[in-house]
Amino acid sequence: MTSSALTRPGERDRPTIKFGQIDWTLTALLCLIAGAGGLMLYSIAGSAWEPWAAKHLIRFGLCLVLMLGLALVDLRVWFIAAYPVYAVGFLLLVAVMFVGHSSLGATRWLQLGPLQIQPSEIMKIGLVLALARFYHGLSANNARLSWWLLIPAGMIAAPALLVAKQPDLGTAILLVATGGSVVALAGLSWRLMAAGGLGLVAVVPVFVRFVMKPYQRDRILTFLHPENDPSGSGYHILQAKIALGSGGILGKGYGLGSQSQLNFLPEKQTDFIFATLAEEFGLVGCISMLLLYGAAVVIAIRIASISHSHFGRLSAAGVTATFALYVLINGAMVMGLAPVVGVPMPLLSYGGTVMLTVMVGFGLVQAVRVHRYSEVTSGSGAVL
Amino acid sequence: MSEPSIFFNEVNERQGVFHRRAFIMGGVVTAGLFALGGRLAELQIVENNRYKLLAINNQFNFRLVPPPRGLILDRNGVELASNRPNFRLLLLKDQVDDVDAALDAAAQLIPITPDKRRQLSREIENGQAFVPVVLAEDLSWDEFARLNVRTPELPGLQADMGEARTYPFGGAFAHVVGYVSKVTDTVLKAAGPNPDPLLLNPGFRIGKQGVEKALDLDLRGKAGGQKVEVDSKGKVVREDPLGDIKPVPGKTVHLTLDADIQNRALEVFGAESGAAVMMDCRSGDILCMMSAPSFDANRFVTGLAGAEYSALMQYDHKPLFNKALTATYPPGSTFKTMVALAALENGYDPKTVHVCGKSWPWGGRVWHCDKAHGAQDLRGAIATSCDIYFYQCALAIGPDRIAATARQFGLGEIHDIGISGQKAGLVPDTAYKRRAFPHDPVWHPGETPSMGIGQGYVNVNALQLCVMASRLANGSKALQPRLIHSIGGVAEPSGAQAPDLPFAKEHIDFVRSAMAAVTEGGGTAAAAAQLGLGPIKMAGKTGTAQAHNYAGGSHGSHGAVGAWMQRDHAWFIAFAPYDDPRYAMSVLVEHGGFGAEAAAPKAREIMRVALLKDPEIRARIEKPMPMPELPAGPAEGAAPPPPTGGPLPGVAGPNPDAGVSE
Repeated sequence: MTSSALTRPGERDRPTIKFGQIDWTLTALLCLIAGAGGLMLYSIAGSAWEPWAAKHLIRFGLCLVLMLGLALVDLRVWFIAAYPVYAVGFLLLVAVMFVGHSSLGATRWLQLGPLQIQPSEIMKIGLVLALARFYHGLSANNARLSWWLLIPAGMIAAPALLVAKQPDLGTAILLVATGGSVVALAGLSWRLMAAGGLGLVAVVPVFVRFVMKPYQRDRILTFLHPENDPSGSGYHILQAKIALGSGGILGKGYGLGSQSQLNFLPEKQTDFIFATLAEEFGLVGCISMLLLYGAAVVIAIRIASISHSHFGRLSAAGVTATFALYVLINGAMVMGLAPVVGVPMPLLSYGGTVMLTVMVGFGLVQAVRVHRYSEVTSGSGAVL
Repeated sequence: MSEPSIFFNEVNERQGVFHRRAFIMGGVVTAGLFALGGRLAELQIVENNRYKLLAINNQFNFRLVPPPRGLILDRNGVELASNRPNFRLLLLKDQVDDVDAALDAAAQLIPITPDKRRQLSREIENGQAFVPVVLAEDLSWDEFARLNVRTPELPGLQADMGEARTYPFGGAFAHVVGYVSKVTDTVLKAAGPNPDPLLLNPGFRIGKQGVEKALDLDLRGKAGGQKVEVDSKGKVVREDPLGDIKPVPGKTVHLTLDADIQNRALEVFGAESGAAVMMDCRSGDILCMMSAPSFDANRFVTGLAGAEYSALMQYDHKPLFNKALTATYPPGSTFKTMVALAALENGYDPKTVHVCGKSWPWGGRVWHCDKAHGAQDLRGAIATSCDIYFYQCALAIGPDRIAATARQFGLGEIHDIGISGQKAGLVPDTAYKRRAFPHDPVWHPGETPSMGIGQGYVNVNALQLCVMASRLANGSKALQPRLIHSIGGVAEPSGAQAPDLPFAKEHIDFVRSAMAAVTEGGGTAAAAAQLGLGPIKMAGKTGTAQAHNYAGGSHGSHGAVGAWMQRDHAWFIAFAPYDDPRYAMSVLVEHGGFGAEAAAPKAREIMRVALLKDPEIRARIEKPMPMPELPAGPAEGAAPPPPTGGPLPGVAGPNPDAGVSE
């Protein structure tokens, strides 16, 4: 891009120019990750496209188109939509408590005609957008330490509690962590962060003891001592570790992982797909995969940094934080470093909802890049 | 108006903070990814071997392969107990969540009666989780094939081919070979906390009687393992024949029994109750040990229905009881051989004559004989089995000497033949009375005459009487009976390696010749004991033992009359050929009446089979009769040409193939 061409008025709003501004490296990385997911799903189905691999790739194709489409949406539209998306997500979360669709003891779904909606997923984007918009109008001083910060605290806590009540502990933690990273990126005082961290450490035991469902508590206890229950909850952890460990440096070979092929691995197509990858492609495959994720995260942070609007910076960085949290939590879980909380590996795991959320998120990141020079109004956020 | 690349209307401080924080966030994420990479390296490089091993253990399992149970063969290699394929339907409990649904599915494939279903439900509930339950056994090939097609889609059901014990002769060997049946809880409890996994294997049977019980561990063998690849639910995905551990089959047990002789013995008993034991009187090998009536041992393998079992238990002929070993009876007159030998050894003159007038008053009461035999010496008294002679003969030498002799001949002794269930019986003497009757520790003189005719306290089993007969027949060795010839090819010690009998040869010969007189004209078994095998003659001794204390002491009503339970027991001991003894036997017919009428003909029939199977004896029988002198006969001294085909002269008897030339 030459500065002369792009500084011409209206030039940046031409769709072809916009299209060129999409980060194609990031797009390629996402395609590679999803492609690897398809590869693994094909393997664990016993070298078959059904039931997972084909659907996974088709979904990704659709999501990719959606992401490219969203990339062209003006950042000011995102800005306007921020609070409404959050509000709709919140209302749906409330609705899900009353008329939600239960499965496996958890009420997470909302049946809307032919559509199954998981409001907590809308909330992941909505929360980032709403926080970014809120901080967009907040001074650095206020963002550092002020009573204003009670508002973002409430914005995070309210949906997180609702989701935790469903119960979906994994998503609740993810929401809190995502919101927390936006708050931190916006410039929260280090002292407050430290105090908050200490408070969290103090609260967790109480939370575990009184708020958690027994099965959630079991997961934590089992995580701490998996050997106490090798056939029950500890089974997942142990089997995943065996899959990982037995993979070695080069892996057992594509389609030859005994742990995943013989169903020893639980949730092998969703939460534990990384273990399959580790078993069949070994350390080399795993590190390559982590490098792809790392590169995507770094590129996304870079995109956030070059945005000229605070809203753009925070929303892109918030989405990136969500993505990175998915990767880190799932990785830690599969490798036995964290309890099993039901967080998938984004784009690698089978599952449409999370893929949609992630790709909408990257649509936002791409939009931030495409519209990085756009001016978003300051202050209370009135439309330009 | 051109847009500036930096927006000064923004608070610069906010941008700066964000950039610093974003940089930190990138660092945190990178650190996190590095941590994951490190953990991966730890698991996949450092601990790789450990997890590799775990993965392999996960993946492979050894499925227990029960060993084939050892065969039990007779002395000629005829199978007395062998194995047959058994098609079964198993329920693998650990793979089934809903037992009722699984049983419903099974009921679609094979008939399950409501009773059977209740029993199965109980079994499934009580059994251990990982032990499969046998839903059906002994399925036909058609049923098995049908199951094999259907079971892969039915979780928890498995068609399986096992082996089941089979006894080709059914009842003839049921007591001595015994049978196998299901492992009971008592056996499992006795096996301790870590029983042989075989015991838990569905359909596994253990020996419950006879040789099957005594040699159970030898016959059982060692379980093998079939290496299979399994999935997380334990479902077999693939078999790996190279990794299989072969089961060690049970050892083959050779018995000394002869199937032909034993089968004939069961046959001649018909519906009667009793026992027959035969020994080779040169080696001590037991050729026949039969108890009648018998039962089908195969029924116990599959499991006997309650009604069937109680019918067997309640029948007064006691088919489940091994009358050759477990039951003891007074030996009756067969014991007179011992009295006579004891007398001779203690200087009694065999020419001593007593007169029998059918009754003999002594000691304040009248002693009876079944008829008036007149004046007789010892030999004649044995031949006619005169009780009045032996009352006096026994009184002349006393109980202790008789008992000592009887013990030398194996009475009152448990013979180690390798199977359990033997009763010792009793050979009484004065010491016994002192020991067993503290209130009346005196041997009363009136007890001696009873002992002299094998009554009173004297009690023996059929094996002991056969041992006695074989030692008499052998004449010099105290033969030991042997039932188990070899286990897995390792021979058991022969019964011929025995000490000599401490008796004068001429005294034993005297008794033997008297026993020959029993089967000759004038003897008690003169008619019944004719073998019809030309020069081969059988010697013997009858016995008729009182089973019931007759009211009034009358001897006139014994024999095969009256209520069965009150009739006398009939005995016959015998050996043949008389001139060169090979086989000795004892036959007991419980409540059979007179020994000569009930027992001796059976002994004859069984003995004929043994003799005709013996090639040396056969050669003697089949020797042609001397030809009449022909005018132009063959040269002097040359053997006459053997005739070919057709029954040989000199061979007579009911056995149609007895005379066929070999």
